[in-house]
Amino acid sequence: MASTRKAGQSAGVSAVARLSALAPVYRPGSHGNFEHGIGVALSEVVPTSIVQLAAWSGKEKKLIGIIGSVMGLALPDATGGGAVEGARAAFGVAPGKFLVSDDRDDLASIFAEAMEPDTGTVTDLSHGRTVIRIEGPEVEWIMAKFFALDFSLPAFPVGAGRSTAHHDIFAQIQRTAAEQFDIYVFRSFARSFWTALCRSCEEVGYEVQ
Amino acid sequence: MSSRRTETGGGRIDRSRPVRFTFDGVSYSGYAGDTLASALLANGVSLFGRSFKYHRPRGVLSAGVDEPNALVTILRGEVRNPNIPATMVEIHDGLVAESQNRFPSLAWDVGAVNQLVGKLLSAGFYYKTFMGPVVGPLRGTRFWMFCEHFIRRAAGLGRAGRMPDTARYEHVNAFCDVLVVGSGPAGLSAAKAAASQGGRVILADLDARLGGSANWSDETIDGVPAAEWAAAQVKDLKSRGNVRLLPRTNVWGYYDGNTMVAVERVSEHKERPNKGEPRHRQWKIRAGTVVLATGALERPLVFPGNDRPGVMLADAARRYANEFGVLPGEKIAVFTNNDSAYGAALALKKAGAAVVAIVDVRPDVSPEMRDLAGETEAELLAGHAVTATEGGKALSGIKVQRFDMQGGSLSGAERILAVDCLLVSGGWSPVIHLASQAGAKAEWNDSLQAFLPPKPAQKWVGAGAFNGSFSTAAAIVEGHAAGIAASGGTAAPLEPPSVEATPCRPEPAPVLEIGASGKSFVDYQHDVTAEDVRLAHREGFVSVEHLKRYTTLGMATDQGKTSNVPGLAIMAAALGKPIPEVGTTRFRPPYAGVSIGSIAGSRYGDLKPERLTPMHDWHVAQGATMQPAGLWWRPQIYGHPGETVEQAYVRETKATRGAAGIVDVSTLGKIAVQGPDSAEFLDRIYTNTFSTLPVGKARYGLMLREDGIAFDDGTTWRLGEQDFLMTTTTANAGKVLQHLEYYLDVVWPELKVTVTSVTDQWAGAAIGGPRAREILAACVTGTAVDNAALPFMGIVHGEIAGVPVMICRLSFSGEMAFEVYCGADWGTHVWEALMEAGKPFGLVPYGLEALGAMRIEKGHVTGAEIDGRTTACDLHLDWMLSKKKPFVGSAMMNREGLTAPDRLQLVGLVSLDNRPLNGGAHIVEQVDDKNPRNSLGHVTAVCYSPSLGKYIGLALVMGGKSRHGTRAFVSDPLRGRFGPVEIVSHHFFDPEGSRMHG
Repeated sequence: MASTRKAGQSAGVSAVARLSALAPVYRPGSHGNFEHGIGVALSEVVPTSIVQLAAWSGKEKKLIGIIGSVMGLALPDATGGGAVEGARAAFGVAPGKFLVSDDRDDLASIFAEAMEPDTGTVTDLSHGRTVIRIEGPEVEWIMAKFFALDFSLPAFPVGAGRSTAHHDIFAQIQRTAAEQFDIYVFRSFARSFWTALCRSCEEVGYEVQ
Repeated sequence: MSSRRTETGGGRIDRSRPVRFTFDGVSYSGYAGDTLASALLANGVSLFGRSFKYHRPRGVLSAGVDEPNALVTILRGEVRNPNIPATMVEIHDGLVAESQNRFPSLAWDVGAVNQLVGKLLSAGFYYKTFMGPVVGPLRGTRFWMFCEHFIRRAAGLGRAGRMPDTARYEHVNAFCDVLVVGSGPAGLSAAKAAASQGGRVILADLDARLGGSANWSDETIDGVPAAEWAAAQVKDLKSRGNVRLLPRTNVWGYYDGNTMVAVERVSEHKERPNKGEPRHRQWKIRAGTVVLATGALERPLVFPGNDRPGVMLADAARRYANEFGVLPGEKIAVFTNNDSAYGAALALKKAGAAVVAIVDVRPDVSPEMRDLAGETEAELLAGHAVTATEGGKALSGIKVQRFDMQGGSLSGAERILAVDCLLVSGGWSPVIHLASQAGAKAEWNDSLQAFLPPKPAQKWVGAGAFNGSFSTAAAIVEGHAAGIAASGGTAAPLEPPSVEATPCRPEPAPVLEIGASGKSFVDYQHDVTAEDVRLAHREGFVSVEHLKRYTTLGMATDQGKTSNVPGLAIMAAALGKPIPEVGTTRFRPPYAGVSIGSIAGSRYGDLKPERLTPMHDWHVAQGATMQPAGLWWRPQIYGHPGETVEQAYVRETKATRGAAGIVDVSTLGKIAVQGPDSAEFLDRIYTNTFSTLPVGKARYGLMLREDGIAFDDGTTWRLGEQDFLMTTTTANAGKVLQHLEYYLDVVWPELKVTVTSVTDQWAGAAIGGPRAREILAACVTGTAVDNAALPFMGIVHGEIAGVPVMICRLSFSGEMAFEVYCGADWGTHVWEALMEAGKPFGLVPYGLEALGAMRIEKGHVTGAEIDGRTTACDLHLDWMLSKKKPFVGSAMMNREGLTAPDRLQLVGLVSLDNRPLNGGAHIVEQVDDKNPRNSLGHVTAVCYSPSLGKYIGLALVMGGKSRHGTRAFVSDPLRGRFGPVEIVSHHFFDPEGSRMHG
């Protein structure tokens, strides 16, 4: 089993299966008030890599260019701007900071090679964040129960991202389709967040995929 | 009890759907759409509750949220929801309601004896009776303590339940361009106009049925009945994709930035909520502009006996007749100071009641009103007033006398009219509560005898009766203009619609009280009388704010909706000043009652999320007792059957010191510190130097606050030239990250450093003990773990069971120990591999208790000692204070107070009576359990030391090291623990560190 370590903060790669933080509470099937239809579907997205990229002041455009070349995504140069294409996703989470995710192994090391130290830093968060996808016709309603953000499509377009919090749980959110959001939460909070999310979805009927 | 339901009418009820419910154990029936008040009135019930102080019988005064009298408790199983106006409760099959503040029953209430001692219970009763020093057997505060139990039983509102509320509550956020509050003609018109401009519109109303007064006004709008007009508007709004309708929603708070808070009664009108449906939903609405179309509330008149069941606001009676098909009485009289009650009288007449008389304080009644009085076939008594009411628990008659409006005097013979219902109207008060909350000071309008909203202090527009525009046509026109203005549009003004209505001039006579003898209630819910207000004036209360608090006027759950203006008028008259000079109080949230559950929202149970380590499920599966550490859950012990906590941690400690132990340290804060200036940054943050740390090595670091007090400690690992992994204590992880971000953002923005929380990225296991290295050697591949490859504070990278790991040799337990880090998703895999590899070596998992015992034996400090008051010197960490560089805290750490010789310093304690010590106990030189004093310091941490075979502890003690070898005593009067201890060095075990380094 080969393992590589290029980026200092990378957990590396392994053929060993990764254990989801949600495992004991992840119950596929229909739940809640689903007899009247499914309002939302929930799933865990397991990108192989989640990486935070941070640009030094004045190097933001350069970093956006690097993200574009590594990820094949054209990011708008705007606060909270982002783009998504299949499993590849990138979005702004803070001034000069981006979260990127992909199915490639050790994306952190790929970026570490692509980025000069005078551009910014690369931090592997592949194990540190759990990504929960929520999709369906009632998705904006459910999201509104959790976050004080305007989730309407004009205010929160596809690809865009936001950093916010639900009670004590920090969350980074990207809209990955018109009726779909990916929520990145700290792994240690994921089970609590998932449980609360499921409970809030009961009203509209939900399916765990 | 006779049925008061009319044969026809009642647009809100569905006569095809009967509903069964109980009130005070008696079964009744009503119809879907009924409120509890309308259904009980329809069943002939007139007695709804008992008053707050005097236990006077009370009926229903209003038909809406302003109801002060008919408060009930709704029961769902054993869960009680008290103090809900019966006028706001929608009945459903199985509804169980009970009356309040009565014993043994509503009809026969022993508390009614309070009516006999009414004078004793006047304004300021508590201040006069119970305030003062505790002297004598029954004076002042002591008297209160004697009386409190009885008073609390005798006075008050509903009783809160003791059972947990099982209902669901939740919060939701909403954003809109225009929020319209109130769905009467003005609100509907505003919402439609705003929606036509294309923006997002929310329309909220307290009632289940949108339309407001249009639903019961008897008017026609553009040729159709007003209720049908309203229904058509609602249908139109529903069809629009940019409009959200929120019926049953109390918009109760207006906060800065047009943030509005509202509670929606989602399911309590149902016998059973749908799956997942909350009882109440708390809305936080961020509105671009708010249209306040909140209407107006009718005021009662103040006269003797005005609280008797059967006395009702005139418009409420009209509403019961027209909207619910219920007659509140069969023989009614009307008592008014304005025109609007004439329309109500006509409505009651049309619904089938006999209108006996219309008593108007005005001597000159307009010809239109005379015509209306004629239509009702009532005797018109202009220039008269009601001076008393008769009856017991229901009205049987009223006394009427000639009244001089100018002087307020009564004259002539008293007439008695036999009636079972008296409709009263003292004019109308615009509902300006939200505007007041938004920062605007109300302005008195003399002709309307009401407070009107002034210019907005936030982005809101008013419309309709809220503005004092009481006609429906004006409301619709103003609503339209408000909707357009709120949307930023410029549409032409709306042509006034054609409205057919009974004639009505809005200006009331300036008469709110009839000065006859007898209890005249101003604030029904708090039992405040007109005489109470005058008494407050006689006792020197001038300010309206003081009056309010002294009399409790307007401070009940209805917040004085019916009582504020009459109370002010009486106060103004007593002061001899006009009302505007007396002023009014600022309205505060909530506009109407808000459930506590809806404020908590979906937070239930422990009210906080659980934070779990990657190996959490393994710990639980092994039978670990989990305990909270902040938000984290950590193993306390892995107890064996029958073991006490102490036995378990002693066993785990011995096993670790004898062979090897493993503990989950994933909770330690971990911060990636990256960038070309990272080393320089750490030199500034830590008291010691990190720029000299080679790659592949770790160093213990201490950081101070800016004021020189110790802040946090931990090891930081250099993974690359520009790449550090900082660890912090579990408790301070967030604070340290904030600390670092603050310095990077504010103080040293020129440094190229990023800091990122990677606590959750890594699973951490600390494996320690004499066999620990052998265990690692048995399972780690890709690197050697011997002393050469992995010296103390060295870092290596390798694999365990196919997973990349990072191993650092450092110790908290005092044993030769290693921290093994891997990606969190592999944490359990690696942990199990370590356990498996450790089996031949006697490896045991240990929890926080054993971890604590071993750190105490070693004298390592944690948050118990780094407690925000101690310095590095206090903790004997002064060797870590670099003299070669400045660092955060270095400029302040040598201040006089922080270097004083009498500061508390870290020491060790040994219990000399072989009994456990208590954390928090004081250290004293002499024990005096009767008069504990002269504390030298306190105990910070305690345990039984398996290595020493004694109960030991750490303490912060004045004099510190100078007391080593001396005796002292623990003094813990709260827990009754006193006993001798020896003060020793805090290094109890292996002070040379030979085990750790060996």
